[in-house]
Amino acid sequence: MSAVLGISGGYHDAAAALVVDGVVVAALQEERLSRVKNDPSPPLRAARACLSIGGIAAPDRVVFYENPYARIERVLVSLLRGFPRTFRQFPRAIGAQLGSKLWILDDLAEGLGVPRAKVTFVAHHEAHAASAFYASPYPRAAVLTVDGVGEEAATAIWHGTEQGLREVAHVDYPCSLGLLYAAFTAYLGFAVNEGEYKVMGLAAWGSPRRREELAKVVQLSSDGGYELDLSYFAFHTDTELGFSSKLEALLGPRRPAERPWDLETAEDRAYADVAASLQALLEDALLGLARTARKRTEEECLCLAGGVALNAVANARIAREAGFSRVFVQPAAGDAGGALGAAILGAMKDGAPRPAPMRDAALGVAVDAGEANMLASALGFAVKRVDDRDAEVAGRLSRGEVIAFVDGRCEFGPRALGQRSILADPRAAATRERINRAVKRREPFRPFAPSALAGTELRWYDEPGDDMTRFMTTVRRAKDTTLGAVTHVDGTARLHTVDPESRFGALLSAVERESGIPVVLNTSLNGAGEPICATAADAVAFFAAHAVDALVVEDVVVTRRPS
Amino acid sequence: MSRLRTVAGLLGHFLHRQRFFLAPLLLVLLAAAVLLVLTGGLSYVAPFVYAIF
Repeated sequence: MSAVLGISGGYHDAAAALVVDGVVVAALQEERLSRVKNDPSPPLRAARACLSIGGIAAPDRVVFYENPYARIERVLVSLLRGFPRTFRQFPRAIGAQLGSKLWILDDLAEGLGVPRAKVTFVAHHEAHAASAFYASPYPRAAVLTVDGVGEEAATAIWHGTEQGLREVAHVDYPCSLGLLYAAFTAYLGFAVNEGEYKVMGLAAWGSPRRREELAKVVQLSSDGGYELDLSYFAFHTDTELGFSSKLEALLGPRRPAERPWDLETAEDRAYADVAASLQALLEDALLGLARTARKRTEEECLCLAGGVALNAVANARIAREAGFSRVFVQPAAGDAGGALGAAILGAMKDGAPRPAPMRDAALGVAVDAGEANMLASALGFAVKRVDDRDAEVAGRLSRGEVIAFVDGRCEFGPRALGQRSILADPRAAATRERINRAVKRREPFRPFAPSALAGTELRWYDEPGDDMTRFMTTVRRAKDTTLGAVTHVDGTARLHTVDPESRFGALLSAVERESGIPVVLNTSLNGAGEPICATAADAVAFFAAHAVDALVVEDVVVTRRPS
Repeated sequence: MSRLRTVAGLLGHFLHRQRFFLAPLLLVLLAAAVLLVLTGGLSYVAPFVYAIF
C-alpha cells in the first residue's frame, strides 16, 4: 500500500490531500478546521484529518506543492532587480523567506512525525496542472495554469498525455494575470485573495467601456502572449498596494474600501465599468492563451487550473470560443488544489495508477448528526429527527424558508455543492436580497447559484451542462427570469448540475415533487468573513448566529421553535 | 540535523542554476536565517505579501 499526502500552503488557502494506491481518499482546506478564512499556515489539522479519514497512521511520502528553493531564488533576484524601490521590503522579505518559508519541509516533517527524507516537493504550476488533468475525465488534454505566481511562472501551458505532463510554454513573474486581477481587486476597495469573486460579480453590473484604456495596462500579442506595463502596478515593490498612482491617473481614484456599495449612483456604476473592462481584458488574455494551447498541443480537451481558473465567466467564454470540444475545471482550482496535484504526482511517481476522474468534491470531514442534535438541544433549540429528510426540506423550501443544509463529507474547494449549503426557493428575486442582507451580510449585487437536477437544465438555460457545471466552475445564460433569485443582472447563472443518483440529486427530486421544479438556490454555508462550515458544531453555531429558518443536518432538523 | 538537508538543498539549487553571483549574499543571509530560526522567526501579513515573498 502507498499513501501519499499532498500539502499546499504558506501564502493563502492551505490544504492537504491524501492519495492511497491511486485513489483520492480525502482533501481538505485548513480553514475548515482552524476556522480562519483562507488560512495559509501549514495545514497540519487538515493533514491529520485526511490521514484519519484514510485510516493511515503515517504517510509513506509527503509532497509539498512548491519548490521552496526556487521561490527564494525568485524573491532574491526580483528584489535585486527592483532595487532601490524594493529597499524597504528587502529585510522583511528575506526574513520571511529564510526565517520560516525555507524550512517548510522540515516543519511538515516535524509536525506530521515523518522522516525529513520522506518530505519532497513538486513545482507549483506542475501541481496545479496535475490537479486539473489527473482529476479530469480526459486521457489526453491541453492544460492551462494561470495564477498570481508560483516559484517563477505565473502562467503555463502543459500537454497532458498517457506519458505524463510536459510543459509547453510559460510566462514568468511579474507578468501575471492573477496579480493583475488582484491589483484591480484592491483598486476597487475589496480585500485581496478574497474579493476577486466580488469583482467578477460586480463586472456584470457595468459596461466594458474602459477596455481600450486597459490596453495600455496589458498588451496582448497575436501569438497568445501578454505583457503587463509594470508602471501601472506596485505588487512587485510594495506588499500593501498592488497598483501605482499611474493607474489612478488613468482610471480615477481608487474606491474607498469602507464605503457601502450603491450601484444606483453614477460613481459606483463607474467602478462597475472598470470591473467589466477588467473582466473583458482577462477573458481576451485567457482566450489567447487557450487558443495557443490548442494550437501547440492539437488536443480536443482543455483543463484549467490556478486561481484565475475560478473565474467562471471566463471559463464559459473559453469553452465557447477557444476551439476545444470539452473543458474541465475542478472545484479547488486555486492553491488548495495544489495539494491534490502534489499528492497525485507523488503517488504516480511511486508507481500508483492515475486516479479515477473526480465525480464529486465531498472529500472532507463527515458531519456527526448526533453531535448536532446534542449541541442544538443544549442551546435550547427545537430538535427533531425525521424519517424522510428530503420531503421535510422540500416542504420547507416550498413555504419560502431558507435552510442551512449539512450532509455527509464537506466539499473540497470554495464552492458549496450540496454538502454544506444554504438552500432556498430559486424563483423569487426577493430571496436573493434577504439572503445577501440578512444571512450572508454581504454586498447586495452579489449573485447566488442554482443547483439543478442534471438533464433538466435546458428548461431554464441556453446550453446543457458539461464537465464544469458538475463543479459550478462555469456559467449558463438563463432563457427567462423564472428563476429570479439565481439569475444575475446580466442574465447568467453559475449553474450546478447534480447527478440524479446522488444524495443531493434525491433531494432535488423531492423538491420537484413539491414545487414542480428540481432546482434550488444554493450558496455556501458561512457568514461574512467565515470559512464554510465543516463540523456539526460549526453548523449549529452558524444557525445560532444567522437568520435562517432551519438547520438540517442529515436527518436532524433544528428550528428556533417547535414546528 | 534534518535542517542540514534543507541547507544542502538550497545550496544545490543555486549551484545548479549557476547563480554564483548570489553566493556571498546567500551565505550571509543563511547565517541570519539560523539566528531567526533560533529566535523564533518573524511573521508579516499584507495583501500582496505573496507577490514579493
